[in-house]
Amino acid sequence: MDRQEIAGRVKKVIGRVLKMDPAVIGDDDNLIFDLGADSMQSVQLVASFEQEFDIEMAEDKALQVQSVSGAVDFIAGYLP
Amino acid sequence: MPDPIAPGKKHHLDQVFYPKSVAVVGTTSVVGTVPYDIFANIVRDKFQGPVYPVSPGTRVIDCFKTYKYVKDISDPVDLAVVVFPSSVCHLALEQCGEIGVKAALIISAGFREVGEEGLKREQRLKAIADRYGMSFIGPNCLGVINTDPAVRLDASFARKMPIEGRIAFLSQSGALCTAVLDFAQARQIGFSKFVSFGNKADVSEIDLLYYLKDDPKTAVIVMYLEEVRDGPALMAAAQEVIRGSGKPILLIKSGRTRSGAAAAASHTGSLAGSDEVCDAALRQAGIIRCHSIQEMFDTAIAMVYQPLPKGNRVAIVTNAGGPGVLATDAAIDDGLVLAKFSDETTAKFKRFLPATANIKNPVDVIGDARADRYQVALGAAMADPGVDGAMVIVTPQSMTDLEAIADAVSQQAHHGAGKPVYASFMGEADVARGIGILQGRQVPHYAQPESMCRSFATALRFRVLREAGHAPPVTFDDVDPAKAREILAAAAGAGRTHLSEVEAEKVLAAYGLPLLASRVVASADAAAGAAAELGYPVVMKVLSEDIVHKVDVGGVVLGIDGDQAARAAFAAIMSQVAARCPDARIDGVLVQPMIVGAEEVILGLKRDASFGPVVLFGLGGTFVEILRDVSFGIAPVPADRVRAMVRETRAYPKLAGARGQKPRDIAGVEACIQRLSQLGVDCPQIKELDINPLLVLNEGEGGFVADARIML
Repeated sequence: MDRQEIAGRVKKVIGRVLKMDPAVIGDDDNLIFDLGADSMQSVQLVASFEQEFDIEMAEDKALQVQSVSGAVDFIAGYLP
Repeated sequence: MPDPIAPGKKHHLDQVFYPKSVAVVGTTSVVGTVPYDIFANIVRDKFQGPVYPVSPGTRVIDCFKTYKYVKDISDPVDLAVVVFPSSVCHLALEQCGEIGVKAALIISAGFREVGEEGLKREQRLKAIADRYGMSFIGPNCLGVINTDPAVRLDASFARKMPIEGRIAFLSQSGALCTAVLDFAQARQIGFSKFVSFGNKADVSEIDLLYYLKDDPKTAVIVMYLEEVRDGPALMAAAQEVIRGSGKPILLIKSGRTRSGAAAAASHTGSLAGSDEVCDAALRQAGIIRCHSIQEMFDTAIAMVYQPLPKGNRVAIVTNAGGPGVLATDAAIDDGLVLAKFSDETTAKFKRFLPATANIKNPVDVIGDARADRYQVALGAAMADPGVDGAMVIVTPQSMTDLEAIADAVSQQAHHGAGKPVYASFMGEADVARGIGILQGRQVPHYAQPESMCRSFATALRFRVLREAGHAPPVTFDDVDPAKAREILAAAAGAGRTHLSEVEAEKVLAAYGLPLLASRVVASADAAAGAAAELGYPVVMKVLSEDIVHKVDVGGVVLGIDGDQAARAAFAAIMSQVAARCPDARIDGVLVQPMIVGAEEVILGLKRDASFGPVVLFGLGGTFVEILRDVSFGIAPVPADRVRAMVRETRAYPKLAGARGQKPRDIAGVEACIQRLSQLGVDCPQIKELDINPLLVLNEGEGGFVADARIML
């Protein structure tokens, strides 16, 4: 899966969890500062990424991911 | 990195306490969370200005339009309350700086208190604030409350805004704040400002003290501290507040550990544990140290509700003999005296009180007393020029009209006589309504007479301290700092942590401390020769860098009174030390004249991590750690504190000439303390220093340093 495809699916998941249009989500947006994810939503994001990509991530490290591009990189590390 | 903003001088604290507008940055619509509750409290408690919720994930919160970023707010923002998670607080603060916000509260946790990563985040916030000339309180705090009706700012996640009052509360612990608010609410205690300052990464308790000094709404400052980062600055701020505004500062300082003292190498180091030093420093600064929330507010309400007592003569008015005796005992223990009533007062008592009443102090108006008797007795006592204040005790009996008595006491307390009235309605359930009246009318009330007496005595001591003149530290011109530093540097350069006794004496000599003549010898014959030259009797002491406590290893012989004894003493010292410390390097034996009939005291110096050089004085000798009869002063020690250091030990009566003995040279001792204080300030290389003993001769005859050691 290439990076662009991962990014598209990541934004779709973020849009679904944070209830926003994926089109307005920027690559460098901070999940908390720019997109307004609270602690509960951050946990939901991790779970939704795992479901979307059928992977199991290290939760502590996953919760430290700050930005959309950071999430893409982090998830890419789990994909073949 | 030094703070580029001088403590307390240029912080934007008016914007913190009196903002014209507030942005809550990082709030949410989720009820019951810190980010929401802070916003809701500001709104609920009717902040007198616009409030802007900044919430990137929400469009509206409680009918307030939200902003994605603080920079999207087109109107000026005075105060930003940052409630984002710690990982993005710097982004929020950066934007605040960009739009010219000058003050922030950073509520979020996850900084210094969680370790190295958190500390880095905190340092980043500080750097941003410095770059933009901003001030911030926190992080990791409950927030700030200002009850002034002109602003009504409740930027906190406390459950309830306190009532307006004249007590300012500052706390390093946020959780304690909520407990204090609940405690105060139950007692109808109000606050002027309520500040949880958390990790004090930028604005510290010192800055807040300077601000509150000039706050017209604040009469008393109470504070909870866990850590003193800059002891001298705290002392200076407190002294400026007390001298400049007359406002008392009450402090609970937690963390009374003795672990630091355990590793000390000297008598002084072992005696001057961190808490003892802190205690001395607070006292020297005029800060009143309290050991519980109850004690702190007992004292605070005494000081804020009533005038400070002008003297220690108290009148006790009671309807019960036992509690009157308890109060009398407590009063005497606290240094108060029972006032002797004038003939005129006594005549009033006789005229208006029943024949069975006790009209001497404590005045017992008898168990069946109602409000009229209290009114008469209290009024007469307060009018007596020989009374400095009154304490009223009430026990609930079947005919006791508690509410009427509370009303009478309240009227007398606010009669304008310039004398304080305190009350103790003893009990709990039946007296509750009377207590409520007293609390509502700002009459200091105490559950027990003992705490009432203690609060009276504390208020009196503060008045005495506030009105006492300030005697600055004495500085001597005849000292040679360069010489002392040269000796210390040579030892440090050689990698040594202890000076030899000879070196230590040279350092002390450079600061004019009186030393005995001495000779260093390396043989029994030389010891006898030196002793004869100095004049018998003499003392001999082993000289070794490896031996700190010479007495413990047989390294000291006293009362040597002839050549033969001198040779024998030398041999004994060498053999005993060889047996007990076979690896110690021996530099010789020191021979000194033995001073007979002098008083032995100890002087010491220790460098404390928070307060810097600390000078110790006390009863000297080998049992100094056991007797612990010592006092401390923070260098440079003011002259009045030097006097107090000598007088507050149990050794003082001996020095002053107890039981017909001649008084000792106390002025000489005080001069030694002052010289040591100057040495401590000038030579930060000295970690610990003992002069034990200092032999004190009779008045006018001076004294001598008999033994000294210095640790680097």
